[in-house]
Amino acid sequence: MSLEVNPEQARASEVELLHAVARGDEAALARLYDQYRVILFGLLMRILGNREEAEDVLQDVFIQVWRRAADFDEKRGKPFTWLVTLARSRAIDRLRLLGARQRLADAAGKDQTEDVSDALADTIHSGQREIVQRALAELPEEQKQALVLAYYDGLTQSEIASQLGTPLGTIKTRMRSGMTKLRALLGTQLENFGYSGKA
Amino acid sequence: MRHEDYKEMLAANALSALDADESRALATHLEDCRDCLSELNEWQETVAFVALSTNPAEPSIQLRERILAAVRAAGSPSATYADSAAHRASSSSLVLPFEKRGKNVWTSLGSFGAIAAAFAMVAMLIGLLTLWQQNRSTRAELVRLATQMRETSEELAYERAMVALLTKPGSRMTELAGTNVAPGAHAMLAYDKTGHAMLMTRNLPAAPPGMAYQLWFIKDNQKMPGKVFTTDARGNGVLEDQIPASALATAVYAITLEPAGGVQVPTGAIYLVSAS
Repeated sequence: MSLEVNPEQARASEVELLHAVARGDEAALARLYDQYRVILFGLLMRILGNREEAEDVLQDVFIQVWRRAADFDEKRGKPFTWLVTLARSRAIDRLRLLGARQRLADAAGKDQTEDVSDALADTIHSGQREIVQRALAELPEEQKQALVLAYYDGLTQSEIASQLGTPLGTIKTRMRSGMTKLRALLGTQLENFGYSGKA
Repeated sequence: MRHEDYKEMLAANALSALDADESRALATHLEDCRDCLSELNEWQETVAFVALSTNPAEPSIQLRERILAAVRAAGSPSATYADSAAHRASSSSLVLPFEKRGKNVWTSLGSFGAIAAAFAMVAMLIGLLTLWQQNRSTRAELVRLATQMRETSEELAYERAMVALLTKPGSRMTELAGTNVAPGAHAMLAYDKTGHAMLMTRNLPAAPPGMAYQLWFIKDNQKMPGKVFTTDARGNGVLEDQIPASALATAVYAITLEPAGGVQVPTGAIYLVSAS
């Protein structure tokens, strides 16, 4: 099965879906859910490490989409960015609220996502996943470590500095350098998938 | 702080990795700096791309229906369902004008079967309608109970986190009492010696659309803005914030009703305030 679509058409279609959701179109919300559930749930599982909490947050995310679709501004970004930002923000809030960092850090299953078949995984964003994984692998280890602790464990720069026993200024430099390099690595490659450049 | 200093913060802000003080300062700067706002949007795109590196996972098939049911319930109150179902039921009972037709005996006898079948069909439709209505009511009730359970579970988790905060050395707790605009409201603010604060409110009136409650730290008549929050249907709200170092321990805390995005200077009525 091929999922290749014209990136511009796909983006326009997603923007239209969000506009339809803003008008109260329930079917449009269902289509957005069908389109993004797997990638957002994978992200939430990675951050929260708990299926029940990940589903709870995913439900919150789509209820927020229903309520706040009118706030989406296509001039400021793409639907993909808006949805991921919303999902990650809710997950980090939940993580911080539960004070669960230690528990989750100890959870052996945090990196496991056993819930999707290989065939499905291969067809959904597999090309993009490979590009991002390759870009992350190219980062120096200490930069990648700082990014991962912030991205998935919801730690602030001060908390990362404290956890690693590294000066705060060093962590800030590593994080910014890592992000700059990541942006450069991803910028050109993801353009082909309609994820890069300004909306 | 210089413009360049704020630019240095943007990538970390997109990762939600700034400390509360820096985050608040940057938010104020972003209100007036389109250059930084535009760059922040680009960093957010980079951050979003990273999500593509995670392995996809499939939520339960029930989740889709739960979300749609919650959305449906939010958009269509149960009273509307009951009203429309009652209207449909009363409409069904009016569809029986057969005897008005002028037909001979044989034709009429021949029609008895059709009439009986029609009655049976109407009875069956009413039965189905009743079952459908009961099913919808049950599902709406399930959604309501699930929402209530989730809210209670979140409250318990938050209370546990507050207790954990209070058990740290040097932590303190301050009570906020309702003013004359919300006499039944009250709140507790727990904070540790670093200024990490957790607020829990009770019985606040629901904020009107476009409005939200905002926390304030008041020291020597200087009003420092905190974050905004809303309440659930029971008037309960929670908020985590960072008390500015200059206001720690000796400040008065207040909660006002403000535009949903928050303001830098209080404009609305005070709903809750701590003792000075």
